[in-house]
Amino acid sequence: MSSPRRTNVWRWVPRGRGCRRRHLLFWLTAVAMGWVLIGVGHPVALGQNSKPTEYEVKATYLYKFGRFVEWPAKAESEFFSICVLGQDPFGPALNAIIANETIAGKSVVAKRIPAPQDAVNCRVLFIGSSENTQLKQILTTLRDTSVLTVSDLPEFTQHGGMVQFISEGGRVRFEVNLATAERAGLTLSSELLKVAINVRRNAR
Amino acid sequence: MLRFRDYSIPKKLTWMNLLVSGTALLLASAGFFGYDLYNFRASTVRNLGIQAQIIGSNSVSALLFDDPHSAENTLSALRAAPHVMFAEIYAQDGRAFARYRRDGNGSFPPPLPIPTGEAQIYRFQGGQVALVRSITFQGKPVARIYIQSDLQAMNDLEKNFGITVVTVFLMSLLATIWMSSVARRSIAEPIVRLAGTARIVLSEKNYSVRAFPAGERNEIAILISTFNEMLAQIQEKDAALGQAHDRLEQQVHQRTAQLNAANADLEAFSYSVSHDLRAPLRHISAFSQLLNEEYGSNMEAGAQQYLNRIQGGVKNMGRLIDDLLKMAQIGRKELACVATDLNDMVKEVLADLQPECEDRKIDWHIGELSSIECDPGLVRQVFANLLSNAVKYTRKREIAVIEVGQIEDDGVSVIFVRDNGAGFDQRYIGKLFGVFQRLHRAEDFEGTGVGLSTVQRIVKKHGGVVWAKGEVDKGATFYLTFTARVSSLAAGTKAAV
Repeated sequence: MSSPRRTNVWRWVPRGRGCRRRHLLFWLTAVAMGWVLIGVGHPVALGQNSKPTEYEVKATYLYKFGRFVEWPAKAESEFFSICVLGQDPFGPALNAIIANETIAGKSVVAKRIPAPQDAVNCRVLFIGSSENTQLKQILTTLRDTSVLTVSDLPEFTQHGGMVQFISEGGRVRFEVNLATAERAGLTLSSELLKVAINVRRNAR
Repeated sequence: MLRFRDYSIPKKLTWMNLLVSGTALLLASAGFFGYDLYNFRASTVRNLGIQAQIIGSNSVSALLFDDPHSAENTLSALRAAPHVMFAEIYAQDGRAFARYRRDGNGSFPPPLPIPTGEAQIYRFQGGQVALVRSITFQGKPVARIYIQSDLQAMNDLEKNFGITVVTVFLMSLLATIWMSSVARRSIAEPIVRLAGTARIVLSEKNYSVRAFPAGERNEIAILISTFNEMLAQIQEKDAALGQAHDRLEQQVHQRTAQLNAANADLEAFSYSVSHDLRAPLRHISAFSQLLNEEYGSNMEAGAQQYLNRIQGGVKNMGRLIDDLLKMAQIGRKELACVATDLNDMVKEVLADLQPECEDRKIDWHIGELSSIECDPGLVRQVFANLLSNAVKYTRKREIAVIEVGQIEDDGVSVIFVRDNGAGFDQRYIGKLFGVFQRLHRAEDFEGTGVGLSTVQRIVKKHGGVVWAKGEVDKGATFYLTFTARVSSLAAGTKAAV
């Protein structure tokens, strides 16, 4: 929460009192039910009667990737930061999902960052579709960092991105550019690769 | 059906061996089988648990990234475990996430209740085992895996075990029979042989056979050697007994021959003596008679008296010789037995006794007698002697009471002659029937002492017995029996010898 100015949780909310109240109620219920019923807290497990939205699933995946990726030792930081660059499609869902979670003993936090330079301390970076035009420049900026880049931009992996969300049959799937990830010093678990649609292994 | 205790020893041994080894084998088999079954179940559960754990661990990412297809791929690895029939992964909320079925299609069994608090539960039912295991990822439960396996392996195990048990049982049966034959050689056969020997000894009375020794110094060997020793002793005693018997037999033959010779000599002697004594006695009698007739008138009174005495003595001696002759004749004579009515005989004898009963008061009690098979001439003499004795010895009674009758004693007819005369002292009973033996003085009661002796000879010759009871001055009773004709025949044969 280094820049509360941009990381505006209220951003999706101020549409009117009723709407805001409805959202609040929904999330309170979701979190409560998640904790009470499942004890883990992923919204995916909320049940068939409240099927999570596409971006709720994607937000969960951002967090779950962290459990299947090893970062190089030099990338030490106090928190496990999940950053969002560009337009944030997740809204409060991301914060709700990562609340109180830890990965490898580090608290998971979400950041909205304005520029790719701010992503140095991030573990996972989601590049919003608004950054489509600057993608090449962003990836170049991040070349020497150990940030797991994720996006749902088409042909993201072909252009040097690491993980690209793909919708397939109503499910959120993803493909992986293993070569890029390895160049960044990341080790992707075979378990993760197993569930990926496609794994690019050689350099572009 | 023969009972076990009546079985022969070899059969018993075989059965005992079979029972003991069979029981031990069955118990051991049951124990091993139970142990194997327990182990098998435990290992089945362990293996299923391991399989569930492996599948679960490999399905974590598929679960987290909602990829049932990947999970199904992982599940399909269970094809390598041919006994797993179903496997199913349930998401944390209970919905089925991925499934595996060995036979490809068909329905899935209803899901097992999901365990709470436990990592794993299992249940054996209907020849199958079902197991549910919780899948955790980094310490948190993410799903549950249900896995169901048939117990074909257990059935195979049971079948193999059964075949093994039957095989071992048959082999041990053969081994037992073989060992029984060994035992039979060393234990049963000596005893069977001993029993056979004992049977031969018993049936043939042959004490010279011996049981075959068993060899070793064991109880059976001791039994056999003791048996043989016993046989030897019995044989020895049997031989001694046989010798003694032979010796005795020989002695009896000798003595009988001697006795017969002596009897014959005695009879010949008494006959010839009586006969030869008669001639000089006749001379004495005849010449003393002549002396009395021709010179009696010239004799002095004293000489006359001496002469009378001589004549009396001669007459007495003549009677004695007559009696002796009669007795000797009884011994030589053969019995001529006919059915005889003793009542008639007694009447005749009484008629003959009439002269002696003159001037006497005699109270006769004559009972009913039976009819017997006997020599009437001789038996008549018996009654004559006994009744005349009775009349004679009651002479001094004012009223003589003489009784003749018959009693049944122990199935034997006993005839008695009882009087109330002088009687006799029971102490001298041994002399009563002796020849020339007299218990009374000649001055009191005349007689030769041959009568009762004659009675005894005749009765004995008929195979009977005569005895007497008496008391001085109270009377005497004579008892006689004439038993079976066989006895009299035997007596006849004896007389003929």
